[in-house]
Amino acid sequence: MNAVLLGLGLLAGIYAVALLEDRLTRGSFAPAAPLLAGIALLARESVVARKPDRLLFETAPVLLLSAGLLAAAVLPLSPTLVLVDLASGALFVNAALAYVLVALLMAGWGPDGAYAMVAGWRFLGQVIAYSMLIVMPITAVAIRAESLLTTVIVVSQEGWWNIFYQPLGFVLFYIASLAVCFLPPFDRPIAAGELAAGVEAEYTGARLAVLRLGRMVLVVSLAAATTVFYLGGWQGPWLPPWAWGATKVLAVAASMLLAGYYLPRLREEQLLAWCWKLGIPLALLNIFVVGVMVLAGL
Amino acid sequence: MQTFFIGFFGLAAVVFAVGVFRTSSMMRSALALLFSQTALGALFLAMQAEFLGVLQIMMMATEMSIMAIFMVMFMMDPGGLGGMDMSHQKRLSLLAGLGGVVLVTGIAAYTQWEGLASATEAAAADEQIRQLGRELLGRSMLVFETAGITILTAMIAATAVAVKVPEQGGSHES
Amino acid sequence: MNPELLLALLTGAALFGVGLYGVLSQTNLVMLMMGIELILAGALVNLVAFWRFLHAESYAGQMFVLIVMTVMALEMAVGFAVATARFRTRGSVEMEEARELKG
Repeated sequence: MNAVLLGLGLLAGIYAVALLEDRLTRGSFAPAAPLLAGIALLARESVVARKPDRLLFETAPVLLLSAGLLAAAVLPLSPTLVLVDLASGALFVNAALAYVLVALLMAGWGPDGAYAMVAGWRFLGQVIAYSMLIVMPITAVAIRAESLLTTVIVVSQEGWWNIFYQPLGFVLFYIASLAVCFLPPFDRPIAAGELAAGVEAEYTGARLAVLRLGRMVLVVSLAAATTVFYLGGWQGPWLPPWAWGATKVLAVAASMLLAGYYLPRLREEQLLAWCWKLGIPLALLNIFVVGVMVLAGL
Repeated sequence: MQTFFIGFFGLAAVVFAVGVFRTSSMMRSALALLFSQTALGALFLAMQAEFLGVLQIMMMATEMSIMAIFMVMFMMDPGGLGGMDMSHQKRLSLLAGLGGVVLVTGIAAYTQWEGLASATEAAAADEQIRQLGRELLGRSMLVFETAGITILTAMIAATAVAVKVPEQGGSHES
Repeated sequence: MNPELLLALLTGAALFGVGLYGVLSQTNLVMLMMGIELILAGALVNLVAFWRFLHAESYAGQMFVLIVMTVMALEMAVGFAVATARFRTRGSVEMEEARELKG
């Protein structure tokens, strides 16, 4: 029952995100556009590049999709609406996100194309740096909740959401989640203006559809993670918990897409330098500050 | 049920591990090692060590991706299209490997495990994580901190070894 | 005899054997490190199995696993540093070309 409800919720979320992205990138608003685009992709011929590493080429889109789904599986939409309430759920989110990296490396290497491969290796650098900014803010969140259970983390934000309790952690996590789901301005691995669509360059037809779907699932999963870790999950007045959860997830996803629309794309080395030299020290500072605040009983 | 899952994931880990040395594509080799380690993570989950399993799955994904880029960087034929042979003393190695397996399995089979067990029921997963934290910051704190210092030392050592040495007298020429 | 324990130990033994084969047979430093990773992975399996089926009440066993995981990461860091340095000076990381290390 829970699985069906969450699956439907996820589908609705993906559709909304796709609509919004369409609106932002193309400026047109057609409610059926993502559906039609999906059908068109499925019907189109799925070309395989010359001399590919077939195994990696075929596995990559599926792995990307399953990484997003696994991350979503441990995040609660309401107190009861959670697929698996793992005792190490907060860590598991990060574990699942690490496979996004593996999937894109495989997608980059598989088709035996220069642009795709360069884009895949670039994404390696980007994610190794920015996954630190995923796991370190989560550490601070877990310190406050004194648990890795995602449901307990939401309950621990009763009264004072983490976005106000540790704003620094929220900013870092938000930026890092943009980088991990390669939304603009961090969309170097797939941007059309860089490396000719990079990783996506050699994918067509049904495989491209799965790849794009995987990315949409990833966006929704990361929005859900931001909601659960920083925005008090299902908490809120008047409305039922699931409605609050869904609203917040959609709002965060929309803000992530909008942020990319208004921010300029940075050069690769600036991206990495800012993360290693500024982001990680700030994340450590955040852990320290939260530790002191928890000890002080705030 | 547990026996089945332990056997299944164990077998998967071993099959992927053999795959590491049976392909000449470096990328496949690194990914086979990754999935071998991931199968081990699942094996830990099957043995009810949830935190360790998730940690293993998480750490190895990044670790093996880094391994992949280094392998592609340092190899003459990373795609494995040239069919280069990159092994030596195969017979000896095969014998040593098999001998190792037989020896270790023999020891495992002949030990009287019954008398050694002190507790065979694992606690619930969240209780385990709490107890592990208490162990890390209590009785085993010194060991844990030593691991931290070792990491720092290794980081400094690795950087010192890997940075490019400026050429002698290079500044005079310019 | 506990069949689960034996099964896990068997996995550990097999990983150790494959790793040993890799360490002895590969000519490339990076491939050799993969063999070492597999040997350490075999040790990990054994440690978790001993914790679970023999001493489930002692969390020092779980901590030992964390330490071995640290060792795996450190082995990679230092190994790649050596590989990078060698590649810079000699242009390859083939072990057969490293005869000058032999006393």
